[in-house]
Amino acid sequence: MKIRKTLTAVTGIVQSAIGVLSAVLAVLLFVNILEVQAVFNVPPEFLPLYLLILCLFSVFSILSGFFLIRERRR
Amino acid sequence: MASERKLGLFGAIVTGLGGAIGFEIFALLNYAYFDLGGPSMISALAFCGIINLITMLSYSELSAAIPEVGGEYTYTKVAFGGFISFMAGCLRWLASIFGGALAAVVFVDQLGMFFSVFAPSIQEIILANISVLIVGLVIILVILAIRGVEEATTLIVGTFLAIFIIFLAMSTKYTLTPQNIVPEASPTSAMYFFATAAYLFPMFVGMRALVSAAPQIKNPGKNVPRALMITTVVLTVVYFAVAYVAVGAVPISGEITGDEFPLLNLAASAIMGPVGAILFALAGIVASVSSVGTAMMVQSSVLGGMSRDGYLPAEIQRVHKRFGTQYIAVIASSLFVIFFGVSGAVAFLGYAASFGSLLVFALVNLSLIQLRRKMPRMDRPFKAPLYPLTPIAGIVMSVLLLTFPVVLRDVNAESALLSSFGMVAIVLVTYYLRMVKREIDFNRLRVAVGGICFGAGVTLIILAPVIVPSSLFNIIIIVGGLVSILAGILHILASTRKID
Repeated sequence: MKIRKTLTAVTGIVQSAIGVLSAVLAVLLFVNILEVQAVFNVPPEFLPLYLLILCLFSVFSILSGFFLIRERRR
Repeated sequence: MASERKLGLFGAIVTGLGGAIGFEIFALLNYAYFDLGGPSMISALAFCGIINLITMLSYSELSAAIPEVGGEYTYTKVAFGGFISFMAGCLRWLASIFGGALAAVVFVDQLGMFFSVFAPSIQEIILANISVLIVGLVIILVILAIRGVEEATTLIVGTFLAIFIIFLAMSTKYTLTPQNIVPEASPTSAMYFFATAAYLFPMFVGMRALVSAAPQIKNPGKNVPRALMITTVVLTVVYFAVAYVAVGAVPISGEITGDEFPLLNLAASAIMGPVGAILFALAGIVASVSSVGTAMMVQSSVLGGMSRDGYLPAEIQRVHKRFGTQYIAVIASSLFVIFFGVSGAVAFLGYAASFGSLLVFALVNLSLIQLRRKMPRMDRPFKAPLYPLTPIAGIVMSVLLLTFPVVLRDVNAESALLSSFGMVAIVLVTYYLRMVKREIDFNRLRVAVGGICFGAGVTLIILAPVIVPSSLFNIIIIVGGLVSILAGILHILASTRKID
């Protein structure tokens, strides 16, 4: 039980961090700081699609991570 | 608390014009003219005026029947209740964020224009530090908003109208190039026409300030509808005339692309010389600063209202001990304005502000139909003529304007629509989390989130080699996918056991 609780908490924290990083990446792609669009080889016409995927992934990752951390604390 | 009714018909018209005449005319005409509709932009402006007039009929009926604080939020709340009103409040908030961010960008642009006349080296410094200036402007306005500074609306409206009249009067001595303002009769031309109208629409939506001020207007049953109609007509005529002169003074050519100087500044410079350039740049600076301030106040008021109704945390309503303003709401709103403002993407922000407003307009028209059905005996000092044609036309036109720019595959419109949908998705999740309190519903939500995480994880692992060819990024994506799968399994295991 203790192992599972620890696993839940660690997964929650890592997933939240991934969610935040995805959001940061979405912002970097949008603003195109340091030519990120060229680094990731993102064609301009597909930029909205990449942003949408990253934003949705970010929202659900943060939400899911938050739920897992919340379960550990209860 | 009941507000004191102190505004007459003239005061109401000034409030409407004060809300509408602003920085938008400096920002939006450029892309609409050089990249979308060309000279037919002028007809698109008139078309926007007609759509605005139709929806203002619905606004007039609703504001006369329900002269309470809250505007669209209150109308949708009376008509549909919780969720739709929450949605309307959020869309209004979103439109205000994008509008405020656009105003911040215009401020820097116009500041650069001002210095370009007599100190081009300072203009270069300004343009190289756009983000810093936007952040600085917003911080100053946050401090002023927290301290509770009042705006000089009448003064700003009077100054603007005077500048436009001087501009129009001086244009009579200038030889304007004749332009074909009627769009060509072809499907592509029609689509560009509608896309232009969608893009220019934020130039009119500020008129809603008049509806928000309805509780302070004397005899609102008569004065609000009259003021809305008069303001719409005045606004359409002024915009049409100014745009007509600007287009005539700056015909599209290979040399002028609108990338360096805004259309209105170019036209002012051509017709009035350096004095015109300085005058319009100053007007742009004042208008944009005023609009950023107004946008932050509107956002904090919407956030405060939704917090009062229990949709958002109560901390948002916390009042500053010394100044008596909702400082947390102001600061929260300013962060969004900075976030979108530093992007500097004028076309994207223009569309985003427009989309939020168009959706709110559609919801207001829907509210009118719903209230006529739900409360037929309601006291209505003003009734929208030609019902149900007017609200239906308002809804159809709003949806058309939302659709055409995306059908045209305008990247800015697509980005704006997707960003708006992304933020609406966050709003929906927030609403669900705030409103669903029962444990069983929470566990169902967790099963759903778990399923999404599991599916997203599997998809990421399968698509990793296709998305990014680099091996290092592949590993990162696969690790992200595995974490998502593990989280999904944990959610589903924990929640299904509790539901059973």
